[in-house]
Amino acid sequence: MMNTLHGIIFSYLSNPDLRELTQHRNTCSVPYGGRFRLIDFMLSNMVNAGVADVGLIAHTNYQSLLDHIGSGKEWDLSRNRGGLRILPPFGYVNKIRSDNYRGRMDALAGVYSYLQNIKQKYVVLAGGDVAVNLDLREMYHAHKASGADITVACTPLSDNPTPNSDYFLLDDDGRVSDVLLQPAVPQGYESLEVCLLSKELLLALVDHCTAHNIPSFSQGVLLSMRHKLNIHAYTFGGYVARIRTVSNYFTHSMDLLDPQVRGQLFTADRPIRTKEQSNPSTYYGPHSKSVNSLTADGCIIEGEVDNSILFRGVRVEQGAKVSNCILMQGTVVESNAMLKCAIADKNVVVSSGRMLMGHITYPLAIAKNEIV
Amino acid sequence: MKKEIVAMLLAGGQGSRLHALTSRVAKPAVPFGGKYRIIDFPLSNCVNSGIDTVGVLTQYQPLELNDYIGNGQPWDLDRSYGGVHILPPYLQEGEKGTWYKGTANAIYQNMSFIERYDPEYVLILSGDHVYKMDYVKMLKHHKARQADCTIAVLEVPLDEASRFGIMNVDEDDKVYEFEEKPKMPKSNLASMGIYIFTWSKLRKYLMADEANEHSKNDFGKNIIPAMLDAGERLSAYRFQGYWKDVGTIESLWDANMDMLSIESNVNLYAQDWPIFSRTPTTPPHFTGPNASINHSMITGGCEVYGSVENSILFHSVTIEEGADVRYSILMPGAVVKAGAVVEYSIVAQSAVIGPGAQVGAPPVGQENWGITVVAQGVHVGADAVVTPRSMVTRNMKGGAAV
Repeated sequence: MMNTLHGIIFSYLSNPDLRELTQHRNTCSVPYGGRFRLIDFMLSNMVNAGVADVGLIAHTNYQSLLDHIGSGKEWDLSRNRGGLRILPPFGYVNKIRSDNYRGRMDALAGVYSYLQNIKQKYVVLAGGDVAVNLDLREMYHAHKASGADITVACTPLSDNPTPNSDYFLLDDDGRVSDVLLQPAVPQGYESLEVCLLSKELLLALVDHCTAHNIPSFSQGVLLSMRHKLNIHAYTFGGYVARIRTVSNYFTHSMDLLDPQVRGQLFTADRPIRTKEQSNPSTYYGPHSKSVNSLTADGCIIEGEVDNSILFRGVRVEQGAKVSNCILMQGTVVESNAMLKCAIADKNVVVSSGRMLMGHITYPLAIAKNEIV
Repeated sequence: MKKEIVAMLLAGGQGSRLHALTSRVAKPAVPFGGKYRIIDFPLSNCVNSGIDTVGVLTQYQPLELNDYIGNGQPWDLDRSYGGVHILPPYLQEGEKGTWYKGTANAIYQNMSFIERYDPEYVLILSGDHVYKMDYVKMLKHHKARQADCTIAVLEVPLDEASRFGIMNVDEDDKVYEFEEKPKMPKSNLASMGIYIFTWSKLRKYLMADEANEHSKNDFGKNIIPAMLDAGERLSAYRFQGYWKDVGTIESLWDANMDMLSIESNVNLYAQDWPIFSRTPTTPPHFTGPNASINHSMITGGCEVYGSVENSILFHSVTIEEGADVRYSILMPGAVVKAGAVVEYSIVAQSAVIGPGAQVGAPPVGQENWGITVVAQGVHVGADAVVTPRSMVTRNMKGGAAV
């Protein structure tokens, strides 16, 4: 058991680049991988590392998040002492504008009294919009071993960089020597937006940033204080999906059709937990076909499906063809309809005989509850 | 605070006719229908009927069943007053205490549980039946007839009636005679083993039955006949719909296959009367590039690379490339290796069928044919052959035959 670490997840962002997907929800409750929400990954990472107290910072558009998280019992966070807390902006006096937090420091200032009451010595701060199976226990031990003030998680430069990422340049000891904020040409290590520090330092940093009206953690702390503070990098080599745009959501979803990627995200010793749903198994009809696809429970498949991801309760009727698609909960593809390279949000109905086609590089996104 | 009705679910049976499947778990905890355990049906029926107080009587292999029911949360039976309670036999002061001697004795030993809720009525259920039933309708019938006991009955074909406990009724469905497996059945109304008793009456008969040393302490054999003899009002409640006792390998296999016919039978997809279960979180199932699946049910965490026909796969089952599964039931974590053929079989939890093995066969031109069973955790070696009707309970080496 590790009751020296407290978890904070920033779940207040509704990324506008996710278009239809964040129309009714914030980024961390975007459905992913056939049955999960993005936040399930970071929340499970924390629980799997023995973290017993987690605060979720929410601001607007969080009804879907509340609905999904509930009391936190699926993550064993529904406790008598501690457990999960959803933190709306209860103590936030907005100085500039009121529609959302301007950055992580703004958000932390908004829940300052909560931070003061944290019982644990260390705090891990993370975003809720990354699908990753990260061993936070190992990161915690690395933090203690290095004696750093702050440890930040990052990944090696990839061939296919994520839009809008920050990057770290490291010296030979793994210390962060420079921070690049959303550079046009990526170099160094890509930030995972997970960092670990002591509660004491966190409070001091929040005080400092509030007094100086600094909303951003990356800029106000990591970049500005890189020489004053000992900031160490924890490099993670496994699979990471940072969900930022519709097309990168589509690509990262399709990555899951690779057994190796699934093997890295869904491990038996660090399971990703999610809200339990009561659904029967998926039924395949006598003339159905399903290849290279992931399908959740409760679907009825009577048509043909390939290279697709189907959430629970999807129906593909006879003669319908679904190819390179992501169909969220309750989507119905009626008989003889055809759907290619599309993302259908919850409860979309594609009527009989319709044909809809996007492209792999520009998938068609259909908003929640639409009838085509 | 009073509860109008308390349900008592008999889940202690050994299920000896399912022996390869119940050597480690009680019968009600045997997996069923892809996502469920048998006990999910009576438990979900209770919840859907608004009955929130359920005692589950266990004694045989209770570990897994206890674990499964837990605090009752998946069925919304985690209540501050009422909810689901596991009731094992226990020792009482001044008495020796015993195992449950029979179904009636099990209730007798838990009278103090029932009386905590001071109910008007007690519903007696069995943990090995698959059906959807609104017990409220049955209770209404019980009240309307001012009955002391109401017995749910099913109309069965007359030529099969001699396999059941048969209720002989007058034109008002009042029971005047009960015959256990009669050779010459007078009616086709078979008892479903579901009873509603007015509690004050049942209490009296349980006490009398316990005092009778010669009694088998069984509802069907003792309590019902005693009530009939004493002229109590017993009423038959005719149930219409799917109901199956899954006490044998054949009936368990049959009932599972019935679930594939979605519209008929118990529609597991119908939202108006959902069946709830406790299931682990698994990723969605994956179908490989050459997978072929027809008229089958597949559950989360499965990886299907081979061919599956007319079968039910529980969660986390793996079917490798070139493997063929037909008319079979594969319980959680089972693995069928490349090129193996599994037909008309039940493969229990985490069993492994080796590459090229042949398990079971279709019912053509074979005497003494039956469903093949591979027990929990058993490994069937490469190219081994398991003939129909076998029950494999130990590991089989490669090339061996049973």
